[in-house]
Amino acid sequence: MSDQTMTIHLKIWRQKDKNSPGKLVDYTVDDANPDMSFLELLDWLNERLMNEGREPVEFDHDCREGICGSCNLVLNGMAHGPMQGTAVCQLHMRKYKDGDTIVVEPWRARAFPHIKDLVVDRSALDRIMAAGGYISVNTGAPADANAIPINKYDADLAFDYAACIGCGACVAACPNSSASLFTGAKIAQLAHLPQGHPERKKRVVSMVDKMADEGFGDCSNYAECEAVCPAEISITSIAEMRREYFKALSEIE
Amino acid sequence: MSKAATFLNSQVGRKIATGVTGFGLVLFIIVHLLGNLAYFAGAEAINTYSHTLHQLGPLLWIVRLGLLLFFVYHAWLGISIWLERRKARPDKYEMYASRGGASRQSWSSSSMILTGILLLLFVITHLNTFAFHDFEKAIHGGVEMHDVHARLSEVFAQPIYTIYYVVIMVLLGMHLRHGVWSAFQSLGWMSSKTNPIIYSIAFVLALIIAAGFIGLPLSIYFELV
Repeated sequence: MSDQTMTIHLKIWRQKDKNSPGKLVDYTVDDANPDMSFLELLDWLNERLMNEGREPVEFDHDCREGICGSCNLVLNGMAHGPMQGTAVCQLHMRKYKDGDTIVVEPWRARAFPHIKDLVVDRSALDRIMAAGGYISVNTGAPADANAIPINKYDADLAFDYAACIGCGACVAACPNSSASLFTGAKIAQLAHLPQGHPERKKRVVSMVDKMADEGFGDCSNYAECEAVCPAEISITSIAEMRREYFKALSEIE
Repeated sequence: MSKAATFLNSQVGRKIATGVTGFGLVLFIIVHLLGNLAYFAGAEAINTYSHTLHQLGPLLWIVRLGLLLFFVYHAWLGISIWLERRKARPDKYEMYASRGGASRQSWSSSSMILTGILLLLFVITHLNTFAFHDFEKAIHGGVEMHDVHARLSEVFAQPIYTIYYVVIMVLLGMHLRHGVWSAFQSLGWMSSKTNPIIYSIAFVLALIIAAGFIGLPLSIYFELV
């Protein structure tokens, strides 16, 4: 642990609930440790607030090791903060300078209704997944491992697309609030695997429809989603989703 | 809804349609640019080129109608995507910044709606200046035809119109810088290998087209031809 301390000024979005107006509230942590993660800085602040009898800042978190997709903070206008390929739980205060000011906001999109402070409801992403982001398998004994040959190229690509942790940063950073990267990653992953083939046409049509139903915007190819994705998913997944959709014309009603 | 309507109304279908109409318009722009270059070969060359186009008769009208449909549909898609965007995030960020890196947010991509609307307005004035103009007649090889050369020389002798035209062509270059690359991505013709190549080609193409269109009015204004 570093012995140094640093002063960090925070402007945090506080909002009681969906129906109340929210605003940025100033807080200063004058004894932050450079080895703290950003979420630990918020824990540190919340302990102070609770000791003073004030309401702590609500924020989502779970694994705190960059794999669960729970944390969702926009820092100084960037989803997950300034570090490439990094969820905000893996962002450490040593990346900031003593005296820095950080504006902290929740994901903002019509499809992510606000709950409290920095917490939003991301279940719209679950509903896109439920619309076709799976493969149907028969019950019974598990299939033999390695029974289906898959070439190395497709296996690698499918694995890259499967890295999505479902955090929703792509939506938060997109100027249009589009969920194309999230949806495209799952469609592209399953399109590269033989297990995904029986349902591939139905899958792309219903997932693309669901995306619009949930109120996500159109994609304008800004590629900001790829820049903020903690799993570094490429927008080639969106290109693949479009190819899959075109091939699925026969399934459109 | 019919199958086609469902496809065209879906988020993916709208992008594919934007890309297809965009490519069609780029193709037209390239042909238009090549036609303009005939001015440099003299009055007979460009007047004969224009006359030959007009001799196409019904075919010319089919192309014009198709062009109009592409143009209107492309503009409508762009405007409706922009309107949808405003609905998709009713509460704005207090602070918003691009992460850079893989992001393609730039002066070009962020101003598509603005450059697009200005181009739309320009086309209306441009048709009025040239296509609907009552041309003087010129005779080449015993055939009477529109004196397009004289009209161009007259229009681009005016500083205001020349500046207006040059500015709009810079905006066209900006629109194509994102538009051409984006059309490839929208049509799904993209892989991690081709992505940087096409992004670079789009820049070069946008530059060539903008420079090509700017070359003619400036050459006329400064009496280089």
